[in-house]
Amino acid sequence: MDTEARGATAAGPRAAARRWTAATRALFGEVPAFGWLLGALAAVLAEYFVGRPLARALGIGRIPLLFGVDVALRDPWLLPGTVAYMLLVYALPAAAVARLSVTVARGITERLLRLPVGLSVLVHLGLLYAGLHLWAGINDYRLLVTRLALIAIMVTISLNVVNGYMGEFSCSHPGFMALGAYVSSIITVLFFVHDSVLGPPLLPTAVGPFLFPLALIAGGAAAAVGSLAVALPSFRTRGDYLAIISLAFMFIVKSTIENVQLIGGSRGFMNQPDWAGLPTVFVWAVLCVAVTNNFVRSTLGKALNAVRDDETAAAHMTVNTRRTKMVAFVFAAFWAGVAGGLFAHVMRYVNPGTFGVQKLAEVLAMLYFGGLNSVIGSIVGAVGFTLFSEALRPLQIYKWIIIPVLLILVMIYRPTGLIAFREFDITRLVKPREKPGKVEHVAAAD
Amino acid sequence: MTFFLQQVVNALQWGSFYALIALGYSMVYSVLMLFNFAHGDIFMVGAYMGFFVATGLVTLGAAGVLALPSWLILALTILMAMFLTSLVGMLVERVGYRPLRGAPRASAALTGLMIGIILQTGNLALLGARRQTFPGLIDVTSYKVAGVIVSNKALIIITLSILLTLALHQFVRRTKWGMAMRAMAYDFAVVPLMGVSINTIALLTFGLGSALAAVAGIFFGMAYPVLEPYMGLLVGWKAFVAAILGGRGSVLGAGLAGFLLGFIEIFVAAVFPSTLRDVIAYSIILVILTFRPYGFFGEPYSAQLRL
Amino acid sequence: MSRKPLVAVLALVLLGALVLAGCRPAAEPVIKIGINAELTGDIPKVGEGTKFAAELWLEDINKAGGLEVGGKKYKVVLAIEDNESKAESAAAAQTKLITQDEVLVIVGPQASKQAIPAGEVANNLKTPMISPWSTNPRTTENRPWVFRACFLDPFQGPVIANFVTQEFGFTKAAVLYDIASDYPKGLAEFFKQAWEQLHGPGSVVAFESFTTKDRDFSAQLTKIIASGAEFLFTPQYYDEVPLIVRQARQLGFTKPIVGSDSWGSAELVKLAGRDVVGLFFTTHYAAAGAKGKTKEFIDRYNAKYGYVPDDVGALTWDAMLIVQKAIQDCGQITGDLAKDRQCVRDAMARIKDFEGITGKMTFNEQGDPVKSAVIVRINEQGEFEFYKSVSPTGQ
Repeated sequence: MDTEARGATAAGPRAAARRWTAATRALFGEVPAFGWLLGALAAVLAEYFVGRPLARALGIGRIPLLFGVDVALRDPWLLPGTVAYMLLVYALPAAAVARLSVTVARGITERLLRLPVGLSVLVHLGLLYAGLHLWAGINDYRLLVTRLALIAIMVTISLNVVNGYMGEFSCSHPGFMALGAYVSSIITVLFFVHDSVLGPPLLPTAVGPFLFPLALIAGGAAAAVGSLAVALPSFRTRGDYLAIISLAFMFIVKSTIENVQLIGGSRGFMNQPDWAGLPTVFVWAVLCVAVTNNFVRSTLGKALNAVRDDETAAAHMTVNTRRTKMVAFVFAAFWAGVAGGLFAHVMRYVNPGTFGVQKLAEVLAMLYFGGLNSVIGSIVGAVGFTLFSEALRPLQIYKWIIIPVLLILVMIYRPTGLIAFREFDITRLVKPREKPGKVEHVAAAD
Repeated sequence: MTFFLQQVVNALQWGSFYALIALGYSMVYSVLMLFNFAHGDIFMVGAYMGFFVATGLVTLGAAGVLALPSWLILALTILMAMFLTSLVGMLVERVGYRPLRGAPRASAALTGLMIGIILQTGNLALLGARRQTFPGLIDVTSYKVAGVIVSNKALIIITLSILLTLALHQFVRRTKWGMAMRAMAYDFAVVPLMGVSINTIALLTFGLGSALAAVAGIFFGMAYPVLEPYMGLLVGWKAFVAAILGGRGSVLGAGLAGFLLGFIEIFVAAVFPSTLRDVIAYSIILVILTFRPYGFFGEPYSAQLRL
Repeated sequence: MSRKPLVAVLALVLLGALVLAGCRPAAEPVIKIGINAELTGDIPKVGEGTKFAAELWLEDINKAGGLEVGGKKYKVVLAIEDNESKAESAAAAQTKLITQDEVLVIVGPQASKQAIPAGEVANNLKTPMISPWSTNPRTTENRPWVFRACFLDPFQGPVIANFVTQEFGFTKAAVLYDIASDYPKGLAEFFKQAWEQLHGPGSVVAFESFTTKDRDFSAQLTKIIASGAEFLFTPQYYDEVPLIVRQARQLGFTKPIVGSDSWGSAELVKLAGRDVVGLFFTTHYAAAGAKGKTKEFIDRYNAKYGYVPDDVGALTWDAMLIVQKAIQDCGQITGDLAKDRQCVRDAMARIKDFEGITGKMTFNEQGDPVKSAVIVRINEQGEFEFYKSVSPTGQ
């Protein structure tokens, strides 16, 4: 930054920055998503093959796990080494491959475009997964954090449907997660695991992984049914009563589970089979993002936005407001339940204490940090928050002063969150990019 | 009968805390349409402020520098803690809420949550994790009336809580400041046109609410003399339920709902197996809201959400 | 033109990194011990006690110039992680300690809610772990790599039931516990089971609960008083006990109140004052009659941090010493982490009659210590006075 500013004193730093952006755009503006994915893959491969020796040569010893923040915080002397590692392993290969493969990537993208969109999206996702798999495969800690981040995405997106698209304030998501976690855990443990309380498995364990999705869906369904207890009384009118009804619901769920001896009460429930590996979680997260994205872009989603902006007007435009809100709420609860089920199988242990006000604060923070009314915002929020709270671990207690301060600053400078009110258009994403400067069109929802 | 009456006394004392905290929640909610999720932690700050002032005064007394009668210590503690905590409350408003005027309400809710976490962790970082003992400011005497045991402490707490609720109600009803607050609750956009500064009223609202939270904190410390950084977390969320249950724009409603929540929690634990307390207590609240969706004293209002 | 500065920056950073890397002294072999503690969240006090006890231990090691293993002195480094009192954070912290910090052995987490998922991680990644404080049987169940330093609820429950029966001859018991918290709930249930075995079903006349962070127990206590119980058993933490005892006395409950090892903190008397004088509870050690190593630990902790350690601190101290003994018994540090971890685990499992400050310990095949419980009485001076010892085999 500094060097750059000094090089352009005549026009001032602002102009320099503008020129810098323009230059970057000229270089990378044409790179399609496919190219970037290739670049990311190249970076991950670079780390896979030369990461360890390079880290040793730079004096940081091990591969910095979460983009070096934790390393640099623990020992500030390692900061330059970490930065160099990031540049050499991530930035350089990614940029080089993305730039050099422009023609190839565009060719592939254009060819893919002739096929059905779904196929093109699948190819992109495959590439994304390959990168993620390699990246997370370096180390168990990364693997766990990645899975938790993917689950956080699901929870945040589903909460966004209610708090963002519908504009209500719901506090019951931890409760839905708890329902999903417990119901799916009970099913998998009852049917496929030899448990000291629930007895021998009812079905052969071998079929388990194939029936696991059904268990998750059952968990989601349980959460959806539970959500009716909140939705039925609160959507008769407009107002903030959803906030406390949903809060009461959360207390009820937690307290009920604490009272059921068979599933361990407050001692928790464990022995879930280890089926929620990275591929499973990834597929479910993608499914959740895709379905939710379609949902909010559908007629029903638009109706939901209309209800949020002006319920009376929406009603006059023949929107059945109550039904719209109910459907959206139940839909959101379902995905929170599925996420809860995955969470239980990643941790292989659940405890009702996990799903309390602390979890609520965490989910709300992810949502508002990322941005309301935006699928992409929720992804950014969930991943960003998860990575932040992992990377800042060396700060110990002070982490929980730094993170809130950062979030408050985000709220002050971007009151609706980082990426709010933006539509997530997958088909546009997988298209080849125009030459920069020709068309600069940004889709905006509102 | 004795059992029942005893539980009534228990419920009144427990409800007092909910009521006092709910008042602050309710005022901010009514006037600014915000969920001030930092309020539970301001209650914690109030308790600690009271703890510092009281401990300081007691130590001074013990050292023979300034020997004050115990009632005066209590009064001074309450007043100084109210003052100090209202400063904290106003600071929270200035730093966390004023920059977000005009932003979606939910963003302010998030800042509130985050300020709450900062207050908790800040306390933890400054004072360490050890519990503090609130000094016993008054000598406890228990009276036995018709088999029911009431301590003088409980009497003070219950009476003052009810008086403060009524006083605040009168303040909002009778004074010019109160009128300005009600006007803002009624129409946020027009009030500035009438020459009333929104920022001043917001500060006043936060200051008053925090002062009441400080009183709640001191009473809490007197009744349950173990203080810890996370003491405001659960009480705060429950008082939030009480505040909304009372109805928007109603001070009396919030106070009453606070006491009602105390009654529900105590009586559910008394009548049913106490293991099921939260399940039954909050199911009752769910049912109440099904039939009174605007709370007890609130009026149906059109969707004025500034989102 | 825009490429020049980029290259310059890159070169500068690289140069700086290499220079710095060159300047750093070559890494000498160290022994890394992970601490996974509840520093923030619901129970920061537990995390603080863990951290302090571990740092006190490290001080000793440093004073001795390092930890001597097989005739060679090694520098010891503690990697302390905060698990925020969350299950998922505990698992993540544990994974990080094992794979990123590459610690040899881990002490913690303390509470079962965190220790169970963290134990799963440690067991899967084959790293020895010892939880000083987790009482849930499932923490160590079928996990050869996981140990603990405290005794379990199924042992302590009957000890209390037997003691009260023999000492007072009571037949009607009342229990007040926190339903949302693992430890009190488990102990309350095992006590109830043991008591009803002794005195028949229905002999626990009141079995009342509340939720974590509740501060008012008047409804439950009023019920307990009305139930005609002869004594109250409350396996709560020392910061809740003063409130329970005081409220019980104010409501007119004059009968004995009995507690468990979670009472075992000097803060109890500080917080509760005279209300707790004369009460009994089970614990690992009696601080008042403490002699030798126990007293030394208590005095040093008190001098350094300004308060008398609670049971978490004492158990963590023992856990650190067990870790130390296991490493030393192992005989050598090869530098091959997997091998060293295996060696430390085996050495730990072999430990016999370890004289800790919380009692004599030998691990059984589950990794649980077989140790005696002590029953103490709080005397007039507010000290915990030794009353009786109950050995696990004497049951």
